[in-house]
Amino acid sequence: MDQALQHLVNGTVLGGTYALLGIGLTLIFGVMRVVNFTHGELYTFGAYMTYALVSLLQLDFFLSLLLATLLGVALGAAIEVLLLRPLRGADIDSVMLAMIGAALVLQNAAMWAWGGVAKLVPTPFGGTPLVLGPVSVMPLRLFVLGVACALLLGFWLLLERTRAGIAMRATFQDSETASLMGVRVGWVSTATFAIGSGLAAAAGALLGPVFMVSPTMGDLVGLKAFAIVILGGLGNLPGAVIGGFALGYVEEFGGGFVSTEYRDAFGFLLIILVLAIRPQGLVALKERVG
Amino acid sequence: MLRLEDVSVSYGRVAALSGVSLEVRPGELVSLIGANGAGKSTTLKTISGLLRPAAGRITWDGAPIAGLPPGEILRRGIAHCPEGRRVFPHLSVRENLVMGALLRRDSAGIREDLEAMYARFPRLRERAAQAAGTLSGGEQQMLAIARALMSRPRLVMFDEPSLGLAPNLVEQVFEIVQEVRRQGLMVLMVEQNALAALSLCDRAYLLETGRVVRAGTGAELLESSDVREAYLGGRAFAA
Repeated sequence: MDQALQHLVNGTVLGGTYALLGIGLTLIFGVMRVVNFTHGELYTFGAYMTYALVSLLQLDFFLSLLLATLLGVALGAAIEVLLLRPLRGADIDSVMLAMIGAALVLQNAAMWAWGGVAKLVPTPFGGTPLVLGPVSVMPLRLFVLGVACALLLGFWLLLERTRAGIAMRATFQDSETASLMGVRVGWVSTATFAIGSGLAAAAGALLGPVFMVSPTMGDLVGLKAFAIVILGGLGNLPGAVIGGFALGYVEEFGGGFVSTEYRDAFGFLLIILVLAIRPQGLVALKERVG
Repeated sequence: MLRLEDVSVSYGRVAALSGVSLEVRPGELVSLIGANGAGKSTTLKTISGLLRPAAGRITWDGAPIAGLPPGEILRRGIAHCPEGRRVFPHLSVRENLVMGALLRRDSAGIREDLEAMYARFPRLRERAAQAAGTLSGGEQQMLAIARALMSRPRLVMFDEPSLGLAPNLVEQVFEIVQEVRRQGLMVLMVEQNALAALSLCDRAYLLETGRVVRAGTGAELLESSDVREAYLGGRAFAA
């Protein structure tokens, strides 16, 4: 029982960052119908930027997280303007190939810039775990969960409570009619891709210090982001949050009770099951963005 | 006043409009009638900026507006209530109305107009928090009209407002269109229901394969034999 509680806590921490990755990817698909293969690379980018700012520029850790996320937003905006905008109206295969190419370029750029050796990001959090009854958790991980939840909440408020958010959702649903209301659809696409990329970079910035930072860290994460999105249903924002936590728990409990070696396999097993039994995704909510 | 002079539009190599000229003068309700594919919706989409004319001039209060983005045309006072209602299905009724006022910055005025729309369409108030996709067809049409009015336009274009509605609702929709005109707005309406369109309007244009083939007052077009034959059920109608 104590062990289960511990896994529950660990799974929640992991699930929070997975949810960030998932909503970024599902948002981009929902608005732009773009299958974004660069998502994992933006995660890597966020992690390396945090490393660079903290270790090389000696900036404050928290400021570095914020800056790394903003740099992710900027990189996402650049990808949209330079690569996706000229391809608007192209068929989905061309866009997919272009995105795979961009992912390869980003990954090799990371390899070239930082070398293949994994880096460690120093943090101001101590190494002694907080012990709460039967559960112990590293303060850094609690911080990661807190920030992830704050970002999820902030993003939800942006989408539900602001005019920009309403305009964004309207554009997902019917971009031509949204343009008749005065929405600049091209601008919404750039903003969407930038925000989605920023969320991936934030996830990388948060998890980089927890694990190690390496050029290929985004590979598995990119794949998992797709898994989360498929779990929740493509283009389904609440679904991506639920899918993110579901994947976190399955990996944590599977890894803890069955086998650590197959930790990543449990997530994909879950996806195969979901695709076989409920191909529309775990949650079929009416609030689908796409 | 809105004026189109010799406007041509094509989809790829297919000409959709060839040399269309028409105008809507202050206070007027103008109808565009014609068969499917005659270019009625294309005309509206070109005015609202969704399509770019290949040739010709479009002026609004004397200023050229052809090729401006849809948002800029809306800002200048031309609203387009598109065919098939096109409400945002997963936004609430209230959010749909807010979308109509997206370009406005006067939040007090927007609140006032929301209240006015709810007063005019009590069903929308009852369902303000509900997703627009759950409304009936008639309610969605009311919402689409209200949304177009939320921008405080001077000219409203209605594309097939009666399409797919039950007869009693069709009547209601035409009443609303007339009400809009009585408030001093200009109206440009595309309608399949030629009899209704011609009876309501001040003037009308008949489009055939992308050209204006007849223009005149509603009464004149109602009297003309080719309009009767083609769009009003032939001679039997006259009897």
